[in-house]
Amino acid sequence: MGVIELDRLEVRLGGRTVLAGLTGELRGHAIGLLGPNGAGKSTLINTLLGFHEPASGVARVLGLDARVDRMRIRQSVGYMPENDSFIGNMNGVRFVRYMAELAGLPPAEALERAHEALFYVGLGEVRYRKISTYSLGMKQLIKLAQGLAHGPKLLILDEPTNGLDPTARQRMIQLIKDIRKQGATHLLISSHLLRDIDETCDEVLILNKGRIAAISNIEEERRSHRNFIELEMAGSTEGFTKKMQSLGCECASFAGGRVKVVMPDAMSARDLYVTAGEFGVQIRRIQLRRDSLEDIFLRAMEYEGSRVDHVRV
Amino acid sequence: MSVFEHDYRPYDGRLTPLGTRPLVLTRYAMAEAWASKITIGLFIFALLPCVVALVMIYLANNPLARALVMRGGPSLSIDAGFFLHALETQCWFGLVLTSWIAPRLVSFDLGDNALPILLSHPISRFGYLLGKSVALALSLSYVTWIPCLVLFVYQCYSSPQPWTLSHLSLAVGIFGGSWVWIVLLSMVGLAVSAWVKWRVIATGAIFAMVFVPAGVGGIASAILRTKWGLLLNLPVVMSEIWQRMLGAPAVMPERLQLPSFAMAVVLAAACLLCVAVLNVRIRAREVVRG
Repeated sequence: MGVIELDRLEVRLGGRTVLAGLTGELRGHAIGLLGPNGAGKSTLINTLLGFHEPASGVARVLGLDARVDRMRIRQSVGYMPENDSFIGNMNGVRFVRYMAELAGLPPAEALERAHEALFYVGLGEVRYRKISTYSLGMKQLIKLAQGLAHGPKLLILDEPTNGLDPTARQRMIQLIKDIRKQGATHLLISSHLLRDIDETCDEVLILNKGRIAAISNIEEERRSHRNFIELEMAGSTEGFTKKMQSLGCECASFAGGRVKVVMPDAMSARDLYVTAGEFGVQIRRIQLRRDSLEDIFLRAMEYEGSRVDHVRV
Repeated sequence: MSVFEHDYRPYDGRLTPLGTRPLVLTRYAMAEAWASKITIGLFIFALLPCVVALVMIYLANNPLARALVMRGGPSLSIDAGFFLHALETQCWFGLVLTSWIAPRLVSFDLGDNALPILLSHPISRFGYLLGKSVALALSLSYVTWIPCLVLFVYQCYSSPQPWTLSHLSLAVGIFGGSWVWIVLLSMVGLAVSAWVKWRVIATGAIFAMVFVPAGVGGIASAILRTKWGLLLNLPVVMSEIWQRMLGAPAVMPERLQLPSFAMAVVLAAACLLCVAVLNVRIRAREVVRG
């Protein structure tokens, strides 16, 4: 069962088609939702939560239909919205407890979990302060705490690092990584920041103009390119490349002594130095290159203009 | 282990039934409403007329005390008119309490954009409004039918004659009349508070919703020389309804009396208008047209 399944999902809002025929299945543990502003990321999240009714097609969350099972979906999901969303005149612990009770926790358990969630996100010391007095970073964290308090199976984070300074951003990213590492909760993280998705997700859904530009398993992409190496060498590289090819590598030479090598899994970087030593050439620079999310994103955006259905990158 | 030493862990404990979630909203809304000293002050102030009414019932049923206190003044009659007066007084205190409490229940949520988070939990928009309405209705009950029925029960207890059985319809009228007013006030209070995010303005707007149409109706009646403008006059409409429900003598001249059906239609239309406003305003996400 996929975490999110989309089958020709179309959403129309205010007379405009915002999501057009999305089809795909996401099974990752941490799923990134990527796309430029206005691509339909927040609309997709709102549809998954049952805030928007699909015009046609089906969206499933954890196997539940977003149109008919919205209460059961909301029971299993924690949601951190993009914009400020809280009750300013409540203190932190009361707010998180309130949300946990709405999610179905009995009052005593909700109180205990509220304290735990606030300590977990780093707001333990300020949990009795009114939320209206919190800084922007704290407000982001309390939204995360309320999304976590009831122990959801899926945590939806809409632009979690929005407006955060570098330190607060790093803290948020670390928290997301921690939650992912715990393994109990799936994550759906919407962002237009490639770096955030790259650091936290193992699968990415790229949206552009309401269509799926690509669904990509970032981990697989990384694995398939893990032995892609760029070398800068001094001396004649001809013998070196021939020898490497005879060892099972794919090699390509370029001007200026640049050589690109894709090594089989059995080989390591040490073999490069050994072979270079044999042919009397120097390796001056070695760069382990992998397909970055940026490459995947840019490639998807290029494809998007010329294709009808989504592509699997 | 202390809570701050806990790591993140999933919750696998008991869950409350889905149908009881609106009561969570009610509980928090009640706490929010009654945390204010002004609410407590208004509540105490609203109960003062009941204390006076209790004393009057005591005097009416106690000839010796009446002779000592009133010294041959006019006799006190505890009848439908007495309870109509008490109900009207309490219900108008209910309006004051609504104008203070209703904006506290909704405006905070809207002002801080809390609806996306609230409605992302397993609670529907209807459940949200139900929870808030129950909180408001409970608060209004404290100053309307509950004190009026306490007066009724005290009169039943104090009356030397077999008074209760012959006046049981009064209790039904008090209860029913109060609930008509409570439902209407709850709808108007929540709709206005949802429409106007600022609490102070919402408080004024709730009064305006009751009295401005009354003025417009009065002008229409005067210009067109008709009684139908009174249908917009909520104080008049409600007085008529309460008077008929309690079986009290008519206050309005016969030519100005309104048909019950027309009054019911006006109240239903007001409620539907409020539902339409709430349907537009109570949403997790606003959809921009165009």
